[in-house]
Amino acid sequence: MTQKIDSLILSVPAVSPNISIEEVGEYFLKDEFKALLSIPVVEAGKPVGVVSRYQMMNIFIKLYGRELHGRKPVSRIMNVHPVTVSSDQSMEEASRYITRNIGFPITEDFIIVDDGGAYTGVGVVLDLLKAMEHQLVKHGKELSVAYNELKSSQAQLIQSEKMASLGQMVAGVAHEINTPLGYVRNNVELFRENQRQLSGLLGAHGLLLDALHAEDPDDELIMERLAQIKKWHRLDGQETETLFDDTFFGIDQIAELVASLKNFSRVDQAMADNISINECLDTTLKIAHNTLKQKVTVVRDYGSLPAIRCMPSKLNQVFLNLVTNSAQAIDENGKLLIKTFTKDSFLFVVVEDDGRGIPEDVLPQIFDPFYTTKPVGQGTGLGLAISHQIVEEHGGAIRVSSRVGVGTRFVIRLPLDGAPAQHTLVAGG
Amino acid sequence: MSEITLLLVDDEERILRSLAPLFRNQYRVLATTEPEEALTILRRETVDVIISDQRMPAMLGAELLYKTRRISPPTMRILLTGYSDLGAAIAAVNEGEIFRYVSKPWNAQELRDTVAEAAAIAQQGFSGPACLPTETERDRVKVLVIEDDTKTMDTIREITRDGCDDECELYCVDNLEEATELLRCEEIGLIVTELRVDEEDTISTIKALKRYQPNVVTVVVTSYRDNMALIGLINEGQIYRFLPKPVSRTLLARSLQSALHHHRLLRIAPTIRDRYTVLPSLEERQDMLPARLRGLITRMRRCSST
Ligand SMILES: Nc1ncnc2c1ncn2[C@@H]1O[C@H](COP(=O)(O)OP(=O)(O)OP(=O)(O)O)[C@@H](O)[C@H]1O
Ligand SMILES: [Mg+2]
Repeated sequence: MTQKIDSLILSVPAVSPNISIEEVGEYFLKDEFKALLSIPVVEAGKPVGVVSRYQMMNIFIKLYGRELHGRKPVSRIMNVHPVTVSSDQSMEEASRYITRNIGFPITEDFIIVDDGGAYTGVGVVLDLLKAMEHQLVKHGKELSVAYNELKSSQAQLIQSEKMASLGQMVAGVAHEINTPLGYVRNNVELFRENQRQLSGLLGAHGLLLDALHAEDPDDELIMERLAQIKKWHRLDGQETETLFDDTFFGIDQIAELVASLKNFSRVDQAMADNISINECLDTTLKIAHNTLKQKVTVVRDYGSLPAIRCMPSKLNQVFLNLVTNSAQAIDENGKLLIKTFTKDSFLFVVVEDDGRGIPEDVLPQIFDPFYTTKPVGQGTGLGLAISHQIVEEHGGAIRVSSRVGVGTRFVIRLPLDGAPAQHTLVAGG
Repeated sequence: MSEITLLLVDDEERILRSLAPLFRNQYRVLATTEPEEALTILRRETVDVIISDQRMPAMLGAELLYKTRRISPPTMRILLTGYSDLGAAIAAVNEGEIFRYVSKPWNAQELRDTVAEAAAIAQQGFSGPACLPTETERDRVKVLVIEDDTKTMDTIREITRDGCDDECELYCVDNLEEATELLRCEEIGLIVTELRVDEEDTISTIKALKRYQPNVVTVVVTSYRDNMALIGLINEGQIYRFLPKPVSRTLLARSLQSALHHHRLLRIAPTIRDRYTVLPSLEERQDMLPARLRGLITRMRRCSST
């Protein structure tokens, strides 16, 4: 809500142009004019000028000033171009006009008229300044609220971009789990059948033993029970062993997939020490496996990296964005190289694909928010913008080089001594 | 009766190792992790039932089953998958024309039953009609269109008017009530249907129809995208085609043509009809069908027994 200038109106009586300068001098001594620098001069309801304390002083100070000029009408000395604003103007508008037109040093107040131009009162510049300052403070507050909102909505944007890509990935991983789950469940079913066989066999053996141990062994009964034992299938010990191995393998794999999801989705955005970037990359690749396996061969070329201080869940998001982009740039039989190494006091992560590549005129725009070449619904165009931001928050940099038809290489550089403290994060809200 | 051959294809060999013991006692089991090798096997020898994974690096299951259909039409096709993407399921219907869609993890006994059913059908032999349908059999097929979107309805009208006016007779309704009424009175051969019309679900009707009138061929044209529903429509409704909207005119025309042909085939070749046997639907097993549909089923049963 903008404030109007009329809140500053002081409805002081005006003087007529015919009134003598001497009389005006008396007016200035009256209580109602004490706070004013000037007195408005009005004729037929309309302001025609303004006379200031300063002018009066100039006259009275002079030798015989009062005697020489005191009787003259005020119209002889008044400023006939008083600064006048209309009461329905906003504070900003009025103050802009007033500051532009009022003389310095300030010796007059300004006049406020209604929309018909009739005199309604005066305003004091000092009041105006105070009001403006008040507004500025208020605006400042609004601004900082807006800024905070913006910051948190950006954080939300990051979060929702993450949730969206994560959602896809989770679906992928959930399905990935179904394969080990499938054979593990089936194997357990087989073990149960085997187990039934075994107990049947054991029972038959028991009966045979009973027959053998009898006081007076009955050959016929023994033969019969032997025959029964033979009827049970032979279990293939080797195969059972393999199926057990597979089962444990499958269970481990399920556990790993679940762990990778947990690592990846770490809700805490916090800085953590001792993070292995190579492990982060492995987690990401595991999560993206489902997107990749159809058409991409992944080559990992990890250097030995010291653990660093960073926000792993955010960096995972960056890696996932890069890997997903690469996968989407590859039509079939592609190669994705993930390479890490250190140099000087930096750590580098290279994500390089032999996909479509990025045309030269597109390249400068790819980090822009919402820039995407993908069909509606497929890409938000936020992936790289957010990745860029996250890497910067880590005090690092991200660079790209690409050639159409050859491939694309992204290089991320992170400081080995961890993210600088002043880059504290836009945490979620 | 010759030995029944089962071919298992999955890029995860642990799946193959796990499945083999389940079937070894009844069938000859072949297994491979390579879809290409599976195709070689299919060219070389008789395979009664194939079970294929969907996501494999070299080839998608739906594509493998499509090729299987080309190389060896008699082979019964089952998709076994842990992924539930709609695209795959659609391809499995339209291209693979699969018998069953089984999700991982599966239930061992249910899978055994499914395979046994497929194997029994495969064993009946696959004898196409000795001759093409004769003139009298080429009477006009009654086509029921259940659709409340006038645009799609108009397209279907145009297609049938332009292409196969002498081959089919169109009945168009925009709600399930009228559809049920028509199904009671007319011998419908082909239905072209949306999955939801006038706030009502047509799914149970589609399933019941295939179960009690196996000659009926269903083409679903829908804006409804639900993978679970589609899997149900495969296993319990053996729908012939699933066309997501917006559907191109040519695709729709082609699908209707081949659906008409398919219907005629079913009418004259009962052994082929068995290949599209459905599982009784869950709604029916749990006795949760709406009264109207129960009435229709009673009637259809009476008709098919006479
Ligand atoms: N590896 C790459 N190869 C080819 N083009 C790329 C590659 N990475 C990014 N691009 C281009 O940069 C654009 C912007 O990428 P960005 O990740 O910001 O958004 P997006 O991938 O389009 O959408 P989203 O990440 O939200 O799915 C992409 O649309 C694509 O044109
Ligand atoms: Mg992206």
